[in-house]
Amino acid sequence: MAIAISARSLTKNFGRREVLHGIDFAVEAGSVFGVIGPNGAGKTTTMRCLLDIIRPTAGEVRVLGVDPRKGGPELRRRIGYLPGELFLEGRVTGRKLLAHYEAVSGPVPPGRINELADRLGLDLDRHTRKLSKGNKQKLGLLQAFMHQPELLVLDEPTSGLDPLVQQEFHAMVREARHRGQTIFLSSHVLSEVQQTADTVAILRDGHIIAVESVSGLREGAVRRARITAAGIAADDAVALLTGVPGVGQVEVLESDGTVTLSALLEGPIQPLVRVLGSLQLTDLVLEEPDLEDAVLKMYSARPEEGQ
Amino acid sequence: MKTTLPLFRRAFFDTWRSTLAWAAGLAAAAFLYLPLYPSIGGSAQMQDMVNALPAEMTKALNYDQIATGPGYTQATLFGLIGFLLMTIASVAWGAAAVGGDEESGQLELTLAHGVRRVQVVLERALALLLRVLILAGLVFVLVSLLNGPSQLGIEPGNLFGATVLFAGLALLSGTAALCAGTITGRRIHGIFAGAAVGVLGYVFNAVGRQSQDVEWLLDLSPYHWAYSNSPVANGADWAAAGWLWGIAAALVVLAAVALERRDVGA
Repeated sequence: MAIAISARSLTKNFGRREVLHGIDFAVEAGSVFGVIGPNGAGKTTTMRCLLDIIRPTAGEVRVLGVDPRKGGPELRRRIGYLPGELFLEGRVTGRKLLAHYEAVSGPVPPGRINELADRLGLDLDRHTRKLSKGNKQKLGLLQAFMHQPELLVLDEPTSGLDPLVQQEFHAMVREARHRGQTIFLSSHVLSEVQQTADTVAILRDGHIIAVESVSGLREGAVRRARITAAGIAADDAVALLTGVPGVGQVEVLESDGTVTLSALLEGPIQPLVRVLGSLQLTDLVLEEPDLEDAVLKMYSARPEEGQ
Repeated sequence: MKTTLPLFRRAFFDTWRSTLAWAAGLAAAAFLYLPLYPSIGGSAQMQDMVNALPAEMTKALNYDQIATGPGYTQATLFGLIGFLLMTIASVAWGAAAVGGDEESGQLELTLAHGVRRVQVVLERALALLLRVLILAGLVFVLVSLLNGPSQLGIEPGNLFGATVLFAGLALLSGTAALCAGTITGRRIHGIFAGAAVGVLGYVFNAVGRQSQDVEWLLDLSPYHWAYSNSPVANGADWAAAGWLWGIAAALVVLAAVALERRDVGA
């Protein structure tokens, strides 16, 4: 599999403050790679290094096979970038601004700008400084997506967007991936990333503390189960469930004729389902795994790794 | 579709309102001052009044030759109000060109596109140059038009030379603002540097002319380099013009090198 982005021991100091402590990661071409982490973790710094907006203090970066320090305009024309904080203050319409970036960064298929503006619900004839935060964000997305670059680097792409537009954005990401474009995006919450990303890197205090596939995260995450069964004593039910691998914190919620239990399940669900099959179930709720919880645990559990 | 000089176009055309406003201000200054010459500057009473003023004050305001048409134009338009307006406009544009753009967060997005940093500085400096030339050209045209009706008696060749120096002075302040703004990434530092060049140049000239003890200040004053021989009356000192334009060009190159070497928005 071709690699679209790779970083080896990427380090960045601002004065004496070290912001990135030698991070390593690789993004497969044609995949969606999400970086999550709390504010100040180094997400924006990492992205700026990919675009040669800031220069790494040490380490090696390759973007589409090229060192961003040496890639120049030719490399950046192959990348669409959405900055984390987008400022569009000019007294210029969205259409003119996009025409300017088209002139700088290469051809945009005819009709593409209008099509994207329609999808996102953006009026291109208003002055950019009069646009709301959400509408500026739409314009930012448009300038990143319009020339269909090989690589999209999107810093907090859904910030300021309403849920409907977020859905449209997720659709745009899926389409881009379908076309073979690579997407590198960041967020401070997992829920935004998990819908579109194949792989998630968790960044904290300038260290990558985990790189996982979204399905892997899901397997490792904890689900809450609520089980109601008839024809079994509460104690027997507790004993039965406690014996299942990955099940913990079994509690009896009710026991009058039927028994209602709650439990936490970590790992694969197959062993639990097998045991539940032997019961006379009257109700079963198995919740979506709380990935956010899993990630928060990682934030706090392994802060020193990688130093 | 490939457009030539896209950054220059944007920097130039997006600020046409500002260019127009400064042009209107300069035109108003020319139309207010120059037609008054026959009744004020040219009259014998005026010369008597100037003679009655303290010599220090006359020198500070460059009113020594105010009784002649070229001297009057030199002292009022080129030396004072026009110089002030041109310097402010040029410094504001220079400081905004890169430093202001970085401070407002917009430079980051521009640099993420298919441009070189050197190209960003050079194209925006070109936009600054063109706007200053337009304003200076306007002043040249207006003075030429008013020359006859206002009985100024200015030689066209001298007027042209004075205009070249006038534009060079403004460009020096503007490129100082561009350079300091680019090096620091802050608009206010650009404004400070540009204003310092303009204001100190003027003050050093005014103070340096007072006595021989502080004459060395004149050597530090771009204003003095440009105007010491009253170019509207006597023609330009082309060496001085070379210095003004040459240093301005060097400041642009310095800005380009500085931007090429540093982190943006960090």
